Amino acid sequence: MAFSASLFYPSPNLSSTKMPPSPLLFRRPSSVSLPVRCSSAAASSSFDLRTYWTTLISQIEEALDAAVPVRYPESIHKAIRHVVLSPGAKRAPPIMCIASCELVGGLRSAAFPAACALEMVHAASLVHDDLPCMDASPLRRGHPSAHALFGVDMAILAGDALFPLAYQHIVTHTPSPDPVPLSIIPLVLTEIARAVGSTGMAAGQFLDLSGAAAGSEKEILQVLEKKFGEMAECSAVCGGLLGGASDQELEALRRYGRAVGVLYQLVDDVLMESNGGTGKMRSNASIVKAVGMDRSLELVEEVRAKAKKELDKFKDKYGEKVLPLYSFVDYAIERGFVVEGRGLEASSAAGASVGSSETFSKGD
Amino acid sequence: MASLMMLPSGCCNAALSRVYLSAAAFRPAPSALGFGSQIATSAVHLSRRGAPPPPRVMEVETSLAPPDTVLSTGFDFKGYMLEKAAAINCALDAAAPLAHPERIHEAMRYSLLAGGKRVRPVLCLAACEVVGGGSAWAMPAAVSVEMIHTMSLIHDDLPCMDDDDLRRGRPSCHRAFDEATAVLAGDALLALAFGHLANPASYPADGSVPPDRIVRAVGELSRCVGAEGLVAGQVADLEATGVGTPVTLDHLEFIHLHKTAALLEASVVLGAILGGASDDQIDKLRKYAKSIGLLFQVVDDILDVTKSSEELGKTAGKDLASDKTTYPKLLGLEKSKEFADRLLKDSREQLAGFDPIKTAPLLQLANYIAYRDK
Repeated sequence: MAFSASLFYPSPNLSSTKMPPSPLLFRRPSSVSLPVRCSSAAASSSFDLRTYWTTLISQIEEALDAAVPVRYPESIHKAIRHVVLSPGAKRAPPIMCIASCELVGGLRSAAFPAACALEMVHAASLVHDDLPCMDASPLRRGHPSAHALFGVDMAILAGDALFPLAYQHIVTHTPSPDPVPLSIIPLVLTEIARAVGSTGMAAGQFLDLSGAAAGSEKEILQVLEKKFGEMAECSAVCGGLLGGASDQELEALRRYGRAVGVLYQLVDDVLMESNGGTGKMRSNASIVKAVGMDRSLELVEEVRAKAKKELDKFKDKYGEKVLPLYSFVDYAIERGFVVEGRGLEASSAAGASVGSSETFSKGD
Repeated sequence: MASLMMLPSGCCNAALSRVYLSAAAFRPAPSALGFGSQIATSAVHLSRRGAPPPPRVMEVETSLAPPDTVLSTGFDFKGYMLEKAAAINCALDAAAPLAHPERIHEAMRYSLLAGGKRVRPVLCLAACEVVGGGSAWAMPAAVSVEMIHTMSLIHDDLPCMDDDDLRRGRPSCHRAFDEATAVLAGDALLALAFGHLANPASYPADGSVPPDRIVRAVGELSRCVGAEGLVAGQVADLEATGVGTPVTLDHLEFIHLHKTAALLEASVVLGAILGGASDDQIDKLRKYAKSIGLLFQVVDDILDVTKSSEELGKTAGKDLASDKTTYPKLLGLEKSKEFADRLLKDSREQLAGFDPIKTAPLLQLANYIAYRDK
């Protein structure tokens, strides 16, 4: 916890950042491809988020495919493949990791193994969240969840195997000592373990299950920070570490990542509510139900401003390299197009994720 | 067979060890039916509701009593184990403090600090010392292997797996808490184990453990507990459990080499790596660990059919009740005991090239695994 910075509490000057929400903000996501609007830097930008993401996604899925071969005993490896190569996944944690690494001047190859590992731990926590004793989700992204296909025991074991596989992947594949100094790898491993552990995502899921949904704004934001903010924060920090970021830059990436993770969920809540409350919530804790739509929109603006403020610190030094990270913030709000991996079944993925916006989240 | 089962509990330990050492005492393997009454009388049923609140104090096992026959070396094994277990318990307590949200941390601590002999962490410390390392160098690894062991027990006990109500004589984690908390507590312990092992802050500040050793240790642990190790063993075990599934000796060995031996292997090899062992030393200690790992499970199988739930602190006769393949079932009790003897000898041979004074703990740990009574 020593490194973690709360988005909201304590936070001296957030209340001064009230901005009227843009009328364009809460468009429903559409399957039509649109060029992303990087509002903070659009003038100078020929940056295309969609190309950036789709190129990375196919590289990531190729690496993930190779990292989870079928071997004896086949049943568990098939379950693991189902979880890792799930169709419709947006691969946001690895993309944020790579974008953060490249931002501070690191090579893509330095962050790539850790990026894949982040997707593995992300997938592992999703598969446990879907279990009957937790969120009891028979479907994930329109496809049967792991326990529905392989049984509850296999789903638990697939998750248990994926956490170690992620650490193993980093240790085995990270190019070290060049360009990644050996002393950086333990820091990356520690960061991931903290993010998924008892004060991170596991805590978020526990709090969500144990009824923080009926709690105050503060309690609900805490669930969102832990359940969704931790993974994005960890992704950004790991990328920074592997790219050689300074301590100051790491702390900025930490705050940025946490803000973006929470932002996605806040916007999801708002979209869900303005859509008449249909569809499955990714969290029992709904910010709109707790504090109302007006306050929720304010929170969206506060968090968005916070994320952008952190990035502004990088702009002078790194120029256009900051655009991929800006685009995460814009995409969280605008959802102008559907980005997703092909997963195991290329043909069935497209329809499944329209209207779903899972990114750093434990979503439907 | 019958004579073994009817021994008063107080003298089982010595009696069992005599049986091990005397070929004349071996008996033919009993049929599965023969154990039926034993299961019925020893099954422990817990009320589904009203599980006791988890204790917050740590319990240190003090009942270690290896047979006299193995205590003739002048090495105070019992003292060694108690001293190490106390240090390990302190380190575990410190590594998993009570934090927000409290209940998930209570569940972690309930299972982690529930006592037990701490065989895996002691092996880890002993392996570090045998190659000349300081015991503080390997303490983070000792803590992490015990966390992984605990996590695997928590998930193993769940209704969808072994469905065990009892663990170390107390309600299992999902009985004392609930299923969701147990799954999350297990996940959190798994993360904490790797986090603690990987974190440079876990090690002495003088730089005596360089990052390359830490990275190698994490790689070793992850291989041993993932889908090529512990989890592979659990899956092979799940698939072997069930009516009408024939299980060969090779399959049984695969299960145990992965389900049990892999974590013991990790314990020993991590200790060696962090202690600065050469590759040759690591190889020998790995072979030692595989032998005692398999030995551990063979003895477990034997105990399951020769002891009661009260003596074991967990449900006895379960293997038979679930029609699980065990060494006694496949080989007979006699051949199982011969196999155990051979594994013990194999493990000793691997230690021949090390400093004889420093190998005493590892030799006695192997003996302890062979001759334990629970």
